[in-house]
Amino acid sequence: MNDFSEIENKLRKLRPVQPSADLVARVERALAQERSTSTAGVLPRERRFHFNWLSLGLGLAAAAALVLFTRVQLERPAKKTPTLASITPPPQFSSPNSTAQLVPAGLTQVVYHSRDEGVHFPNNSEQPMRRVRSHTRETLRWRNPTTGASLRISYPSEEVSLVPVTGQ
Amino acid sequence: MENVATDENWKTCFSQLAPGLLLFARQWAKSTADAEDIVQEAFVRFWRKQHDIANRGLLYATVRSIALDFLRRDSRRARRESTAVSEMDQTVQPLFEIEDESQRALVASLDLLPNEQREVLVMKIWNELTFAEIASVLEISQNTAASRYRYALAALKKHLPSV
Repeated sequence: MNDFSEIENKLRKLRPVQPSADLVARVERALAQERSTSTAGVLPRERRFHFNWLSLGLGLAAAAALVLFTRVQLERPAKKTPTLASITPPPQFSSPNSTAQLVPAGLTQVVYHSRDEGVHFPNNSEQPMRRVRSHTRETLRWRNPTTGASLRISYPSEEVSLVPVTGQ
Repeated sequence: MENVATDENWKTCFSQLAPGLLLFARQWAKSTADAEDIVQEAFVRFWRKQHDIANRGLLYATVRSIALDFLRRDSRRARRESTAVSEMDQTVQPLFEIEDESQRALVASLDLLPNEQREVLVMKIWNELTFAEIASVLEISQNTAASRYRYALAALKKHLPSV
């Protein structure tokens, strides 16, 4: 605005106070300190790399923790069984090949559902029997003692048991 | 934005911009020492983040942000220490190198401007920012920035009838 040109000129003639020598020295020192931790002559681009490495490290740590956690959970399925569970000692069945590296390491049987189907008289028996149907999941495990590798097979199964009724 | 400016570029840049930056920071800081702290922190932060050395709008926005943070902290501190403030601490330190009475009157009139007008004036006159840059610093439209500038000049003209 030309109307204000005169006052603009007056304002421009006002000179702001100069920064102290101390401020200039402090800024130069700060820049030099930052530069000493990075490449010489240019801005510290490595800082981005530091950040990326940190992120990568944190990501790897989180992934390792997740793997460990998952492994622990898999190693202890019996703790999560809702009803009945049994862990047998390693089965003694012989390996078809004695030189095989995987050896049986255990059998886990988890009963996750059981249903009482009432009283029956099986095979025209006079003795009443209570029929209980159980759904289970069995897991067989093999382990290579030298390498630590493991193999597990898990499958569902159904079992019907007859329990004699007494005291009725 | 990648920056390939050398340290000498940055030092030169700072020596050129420091007086205007200091004046800009003084709008929120009571003392020159506080303003210098603000400017130092802002400039080093701006440099550290590898911003384009030519992006003055961002530099002033950084100064403004740090100054406002400082003002909030300072207000809390002032409330806590209000009883300990001496008369000497409240002495107004000059913003300009005043040469005569007319300039003194002009500076006194500047103090009467609303903050929002004065900060636009400071950026425009003594830091030579464009209205686009001022608008980006203040996060307002260019028209608003230009209006505030005109209002400031009009107010000064009114306060100084001889102009």
